Amino acid sequence: MEVGGYLLPDDLWYHKEHFWVKLDGDVATVGVTDFFQKLAGEISYLELPSEDDEYTADDVIGTVETGKWVGKIYCPISGTITEVNSEVLDNPAIVSLDPYGKGWLFKLKASDLSELEKLFKGESALKWQEEEIRKKAK
Amino acid sequence: MYLFKLDRMPDLLSMVIFHELAREGVEALIIVSPEKPMISVGYFQDVFQEINLDYLKKTGLPLFRREVGGGTTYLDENQIFYQVIYSPQNRKLPQTIKQAYEVLSQPPLRAHERFGIKARFREVNDLVTEGGKKIGGEGGANIGQCLVFVGSMLMDFDYYTMSRVAKIPDEKWRDKVFKSLEENLTTMKRESGELPDRREVQDVLIEEFRKVLGPLEKAELAPDFLRRAKELERKMQSPDFLYGKRKKEVGSLKIKSGLNLIFGQHKAQGGLIRTIQEVNGPPEGGMIQDLSISGDFTLIPKESLKEGLEISILGSRREKYELLPRIAKFMDSRDKEMPGVTTEDILLALGLKE
Repeated sequence: MEVGGYLLPDDLWYHKEHFWVKLDGDVATVGVTDFFQKLAGEISYLELPSEDDEYTADDVIGTVETGKWVGKIYCPISGTITEVNSEVLDNPAIVSLDPYGKGWLFKLKASDLSELEKLFKGESALKWQEEEIRKKAK
Repeated sequence: MYLFKLDRMPDLLSMVIFHELAREGVEALIIVSPEKPMISVGYFQDVFQEINLDYLKKTGLPLFRREVGGGTTYLDENQIFYQVIYSPQNRKLPQTIKQAYEVLSQPPLRAHERFGIKARFREVNDLVTEGGKKIGGEGGANIGQCLVFVGSMLMDFDYYTMSRVAKIPDEKWRDKVFKSLEENLTTMKRESGELPDRREVQDVLIEEFRKVLGPLEKAELAPDFLRRAKELERKMQSPDFLYGKRKKEVGSLKIKSGLNLIFGQHKAQGGLIRTIQEVNGPPEGGMIQDLSISGDFTLIPKESLKEGLEISILGSRREKYELLPRIAKFMDSRDKEMPGVTTEDILLALGLKE
């Protein structure tokens, strides 16, 4: 679906800091939303966690730099990092070009899938995104 | 919101204060200058790749890595730094990066105007004069739970020292760096003909910020806070943080938004090739508008370096697939010899990966 000009695929879960989660078994792929990348501007550098690192939901686990800003990358749900997208480390522009596809950031083995309930999905994601647009993009 | 009008502070500490206040969640405007010259690098810069560490050692210039982005900057007491720290929950202040730049650039712009200098904000993060010269730089970051917006007003600037600080592959290009800085970066002194009074600049800037931020309560740095700030300074000076390898692989010096000097070098079988490129636009994909190639490779006749190879590259976008046929055409020409150097070597010397 598209909300106010920002892509927001229906099948994903969303963290309040504008990260998406896609689940395959207990492995979650994580990336940034279209809203995040459009508001942040062109991403020039990324610092991502290392494989086997363990994190709790809402932990700051990396850094993103655009021409204007150095921001934080959050872990949307608890788990252990299983893979980091080396392609986006070499070429961060991919995140802006394809945030829901090739621009994924990392994968983690989720330790508590019930945490997904704290994220937005479907109708709640739509409302959250509309509110964020009202607050931040108008 | 608190106002910390600090005037001059010991060099590194002058830049640590806002990091510590943001970590502690203190909403504040800080106005400060370092007592002595220092060098600040962006969060993601590779110090070994981009900083002339020998020069820093020789001159005793301290090095600092800020948690804000951007490139190498030379800081001294002739620059007035402003740092705005606020909570994302503070709905009176900008909630997005774009809004932060739009709103928080206004006070320094109006302050310049009050000193007779018309300036405007130019993407990505510069304040520029009507003549298009940079007169201030800005940046932002999320530090702790706060949003932090920083910038500087250049009363005067030491172009010479700044031109010495960048690590460049060939010393004979120092002049090029100096000239490029001098042509593209200006100061309040240069624009108005005299060095403004620093107290006056500080007061005008605070007055203008007050119009945007609302009431500001004057505050002092408590001894306990200073102890914590010094502790943070120690952490930020640790070799891991200061010299830790970051992602940048090619040296560069941002002169102003949209104008970068890029330095590359590559050891080919036929010798070392060094390049300096003046790129108009983004480093990847911008136009190479000036270029110099040097090294200890062999090229016969030697005139074909400038008249052949450099000309084939000039005017091209800094992008492998546009450069490749241009360089290949020169390399394939039969009226020159360049033993042990391939098209791929030239691309690598330009800092473009295989």
